[in-house]
Amino acid sequence: MEVRISPQMSVMDKLRILSDAAKYDVSCSSSGSNRRNDGTGIGNTVAAGLCHSFAADGRCISLLKILFTNECIYDCKYCINRKSNDVPRASFTPDEVCELTMEFYRRNYIEGLFLSSGILYSPNYTMELICETVHKLRTIHRFQGYIHVKAIPGADPLLIQRAGYLADRMSVNLEMATADGLREMAPNKHRRNILKPMRQIQNGITENKNELTLYRHAPHFCEAGQSTQMVVGALPESDYQIMSVAENLYDKFSLKRVYYSAFVNVNEDKDLPALTSGPPLLREHRLYQADWLLRFYDFKVEELLTVERPNFNMAIDPKADWAVRHLEIFPVEINRADYKLLLRIPGIGVKSAKRIIAARRFGPLTFEDLKKMGIVLKRALYFITCNGRMMYPTKIDEEYIVRSLTYQNQMGKGERLPFLADGTVYRQTSLFDDGMILGEQGYRSIS
Amino acid sequence: MQEKYIICEDSLEGIFTAVYDAYALREGHEHLHVQVGEEENYRLFAEYLYSRPDLGKNDKVVRTLKSRLGEEVYGTICRAAASYDKTKGDAVYHTIVDGITGQCNNGVSDAGEKSTVKRSARSGGNGRHTMENLRNPYVLKTFELARRTANEVHHELEFIRFQELEQGILYAKIGPENHVVPFLMPHFADRLATENFMIHDEKRAVFGVHPAKGDWYLISGVEGFDEKSLVWSDKELAYQDLFTLFHKTIAIAERRNERLQRQMLPLRFQEYMVEFSQK
Repeated sequence: MEVRISPQMSVMDKLRILSDAAKYDVSCSSSGSNRRNDGTGIGNTVAAGLCHSFAADGRCISLLKILFTNECIYDCKYCINRKSNDVPRASFTPDEVCELTMEFYRRNYIEGLFLSSGILYSPNYTMELICETVHKLRTIHRFQGYIHVKAIPGADPLLIQRAGYLADRMSVNLEMATADGLREMAPNKHRRNILKPMRQIQNGITENKNELTLYRHAPHFCEAGQSTQMVVGALPESDYQIMSVAENLYDKFSLKRVYYSAFVNVNEDKDLPALTSGPPLLREHRLYQADWLLRFYDFKVEELLTVERPNFNMAIDPKADWAVRHLEIFPVEINRADYKLLLRIPGIGVKSAKRIIAARRFGPLTFEDLKKMGIVLKRALYFITCNGRMMYPTKIDEEYIVRSLTYQNQMGKGERLPFLADGTVYRQTSLFDDGMILGEQGYRSIS
Repeated sequence: MQEKYIICEDSLEGIFTAVYDAYALREGHEHLHVQVGEEENYRLFAEYLYSRPDLGKNDKVVRTLKSRLGEEVYGTICRAAASYDKTKGDAVYHTIVDGITGQCNNGVSDAGEKSTVKRSARSGGNGRHTMENLRNPYVLKTFELARRTANEVHHELEFIRFQELEQGILYAKIGPENHVVPFLMPHFADRLATENFMIHDEKRAVFGVHPAKGDWYLISGVEGFDEKSLVWSDKELAYQDLFTLFHKTIAIAERRNERLQRQMLPLRFQEYMVEFSQK
């Protein structure tokens, strides 16, 4: 078999096609891996991750995110590179990818490489090309920066294992939250084939951890863990379904991150929804907020959503939404509450909760202190007391608090959404025009 | 009692020397102030003293800080001292005083939290919690200044752009608010261990220089440096174009949001970045 690479095409043209084709992949984090340079080449990794630039859509650019090739034998309805689309096709050679990565990295443009690919000929063939590229980068170029590669579902487990020892992070995209949805959207993909490599990587990481305790210099396997991504808003699945899947992935597959990708209709397929108001960005935002609540705030999906209330409130964020429905535990006394309870207060995050715990050992805290320490009082004031007093006389009443919080939003002083105030991407006005804030309208999903 | 102002040089050594001199006065700290740079408005009924940076005094202060307050607090104080803010001298000085005299630890008396205090006492000093006392205005100020410097350091680690000169030397120019170069160098010295590179802070005329496989150092007070005399390597422009192209094609048109882009990547950094200069 011979690679269908068009040699006459310049690297510039290839980069244009193959970065354009890779842009719908969300994951761009470079965190989770901490490695010093060994002196034989360039590169190291920083645990917190670094974002080297921001594109015109406000998303970060951390890694050189490219497809190895956008040729594909599959025909997934939502994908721009599906085989029935007539788009320009290109493929890199392993050397071209290596050179681009090294030269970009030296200039501090990128934190490393994100390599994905369309399926060329077969999953095995593609996975082999990815492995070869990453292997060259690691051994010939002695690159020690961050590498994120896709595990191609259906590829030989040995190839996936090989890639895992070369990469910092691997990911397999779940694509759709439900197995039925996947069957409908991607006739060539099967849920089973996606979960299999995911399980393999999880087991690989666990075994590797045990190995490393015994042998300190054993090679690392996916040091930064694995992630996945789901498309949101292409099918009518509820937030509850999506979040339950995410929770399962965190609990049962030990995933580091689950990404949610607001559906962008690139193919105008008859089976896909027409999005008149653009991609469902607010819904995606709410899912990410809830995702953080799961991972850092000790929330369970069951607390946020139920079968009867399957979608997030578009008017206020999930944490505030939870708080106003549990007013029996509020107000909370800042000088006494334990860490877990502090985390449940809207306006207090992980950092400020830790600061409160540390600072109140020196004496009682006042609202003035809290403000200086970075607590968002305009949200927190309905839920807290300092030394037995609330900041202003407020009613502990669900409707009153929600009205105050959403009123702030309308005035542009409330929750800072990353896109609303721009007015160009998504308009929330319709939710308020009819005066219904807590009614069904407020809870409906916007997809 | 009369207020006294100790005027010192705007550098880490300058501030630490002033702290040493302030202690040497043995007059009690509440009426003493450390002022960086020049006196702003002369105050009536205030005495002005001048302190010259002295490496010996500096080393003594550094040693004391490390042993009494711990490496972490020491790091925070260094970052605060690198701030652009002219009131940093006083904030740092009084944070040190309150940390060492234990004012930042006396308050720790809640019955439930005693164990923490005991543990810190065992570990050789009790100033390690100094930065946690955010109710203290000096500590809060030091904390804020240090955080601001740390944030800028993090941004520069991300947004700095090297350009390849002839003979493969990498050159980067930055214009930071705070004195961040000393905090950037260790990161890049590790990352680009096999490269010759330099980072140029054009606001302070400071260069961080790293020879390949060697140790990095700082040069300050360089005169007559002309950026135009630098000659790019043959391939430099091609890679700048490639990255500019990548930066453009990776954005999703349907999600276009320049306000968010500016929020994440302020214009003062964009000025120095290749992908924004070729628009």
